Amino acid sequence: MWTRFAIVAVIAAAIVFPLFVTVNYFIHLAILAMIFMIVAQGANVIQGYTGYVSIAQGAFMGIGAYASALLSMRAGFPVWLSMLAAPIFTAVAAAIAGYPALRIKGHYFAIMTLAMNMVVFTVLVNWVSLTQGEPGLPSIPSPEAINLGFTEIAFEKRRAYYYLALAALVLVMWIVAAVVRSRVGRVLLAIRQNEPFAEAAGIACWKYKLFAFIFSASLAGFGGAIYAHYMGFINPTPFSADASLNAILAVILGGSGTLTGPLVGGALTVILPEALRVAEIYRLIAYGLLLILVVIFLPRGLVPAVVDGVRSISRRRKTP
Amino acid sequence: MLIDFIQQIFNGLVVGSIYTLIALGLTTIFGIFGIAHFAHGSVAMFGGYLTYFLISALGIGLLPSFILAMAAGALLGIVLERVAYYPVRNAPPINSFIIALGLTLIIEKLNLLAFGVDQVIIPTPLVNVINVGGVTMPELRIYVLAIAAILVIGMTLLIQRTWIGMAVRAVAQNRAAAVLMGINVNSVSMFVFALSSALGVAAGVLVGALFAVAPGVSSGLVIKGFAVLILGGLGSIPGAIVGGMLLGVSEAFAAAFVSSAYKDVISFLLMILVLLVRPEGLMRRSSR
Repeated sequence: MWTRFAIVAVIAAAIVFPLFVTVNYFIHLAILAMIFMIVAQGANVIQGYTGYVSIAQGAFMGIGAYASALLSMRAGFPVWLSMLAAPIFTAVAAAIAGYPALRIKGHYFAIMTLAMNMVVFTVLVNWVSLTQGEPGLPSIPSPEAINLGFTEIAFEKRRAYYYLALAALVLVMWIVAAVVRSRVGRVLLAIRQNEPFAEAAGIACWKYKLFAFIFSASLAGFGGAIYAHYMGFINPTPFSADASLNAILAVILGGSGTLTGPLVGGALTVILPEALRVAEIYRLIAYGLLLILVVIFLPRGLVPAVVDGVRSISRRRKTP
Repeated sequence: MLIDFIQQIFNGLVVGSIYTLIALGLTTIFGIFGIAHFAHGSVAMFGGYLTYFLISALGIGLLPSFILAMAAGALLGIVLERVAYYPVRNAPPINSFIIALGLTLIIEKLNLLAFGVDQVIIPTPLVNVINVGGVTMPELRIYVLAIAAILVIGMTLLIQRTWIGMAVRAVAQNRAAAVLMGINVNSVSMFVFALSSALGVAAGVLVGALFAVAPGVSSGLVIKGFAVLILGGLGSIPGAIVGGMLLGVSEAFAAAFVSSAYKDVISFLLMILVLLVRPEGLMRRSSR
């Protein structure tokens, strides 16, 4: 009951947020944070629930972004359709990459996915005839305006796009929650806890791992598509391995294997570097320090730590 | 054609020897602690910058600067182990990986603060080019190869022939048994970080002399190091040597005969292929 109340309250707060914030820059940050929450939630599926650390989330974000942008610009797809096609496109790429990669485990898998990120990045930079390389793709169209009869919602407007990103995030959260609570989700948890045991119990683990990998990648691709049509311009830079590492950080900071963790972590990884505005260099050093401190002192992430804290306080109140 | 072929093998071996130096440190740390020490490339760049600084600002000679930088690198390695990795030694491996990422950020930016954003080339007096039957061998590259070979042989002897090396191998094989035999795991881990970081610094200096020391170089270097680890097998010293040479030579061939823009893609595809055929790496025996 309380959880449901909390969900409604958070969504309501997110809906009224732009009405109280007048600074456009904050709206901009909020949109980026929500996009990154979607990408981080994808990382959470493979890393937090399945226990396989993938360092390719940035690459899949890039594939989604370029797929959606190019479909709408070159193939003449309506923007809405290409944004929905992007996750499917990313899923196909992830299936091709994941099938061989998931034959290996642990650090091997992590490094393999890192190499894949490098490959995708190099291709984005060098396949100039398709991606226009380092200078990037300019003037990517915004989604078509929706005519409601009495008014028209134009998505070039920052506030309208805020609601688009929010709707996408809620949709993603709903799907991820459904998956995690289903039988598939329990199998993924079993793989994280003890893969040989799950295998021995008659589960074809590779199918579930491949599903988790493809699912997580398609979420990244979806986030990438929303990013592309928001920014109106993309080049390979935001899709390097750094983005993948940021997604991992978001999961770890917030709390891996929890639904709310990536939301908190995703918001922090976008907003913290902005908030620590001393000077570019110092703030990244502070960011690195903070990271190390969180891992050493709050190894399970912020959300579980806060939840435990609240529980222990309420328990203390009950016992006189 | 044959001349081209030999030329590319030579070029590949030179670059591969630097990859080997990076990979040796990574593989020793990984073999013993299971830590993917991502900050290794930044440590290498720190060494490159420091050497340049010692030579250009303080006027110290090339060789003494090189040795001083390696000593500083060893010290830095010990500090990293004590301050950052030691507290998470019993936590899941992902935690030490995140620590490594944090360290990468910090060292990278401290490098920028201390040495500036410009790329620098470590000056050497080695400018002659030797021509053997059409294969051009710049003197500098021969020295790089020789220095790398000396360091690799030195490290191998240290691990195989000395008491502390035996302790390192014992901890790698079976930590619990090593502790029971009275090996101080703490001092072994500090030793491993010192040795690995000194080798990493050496690689950074060689890169700085051969190409340049620049802010963006470190991540490329560490990723190549990990690629070597995959090729050779995680935790294997012979694997790091063979894998480094293989990666260097295949990159040189890819750049010369296929496409220099896609040389990294080709070397990573090679790595993926090796992983599929031999998931345990080329040199790792199937039984540990």
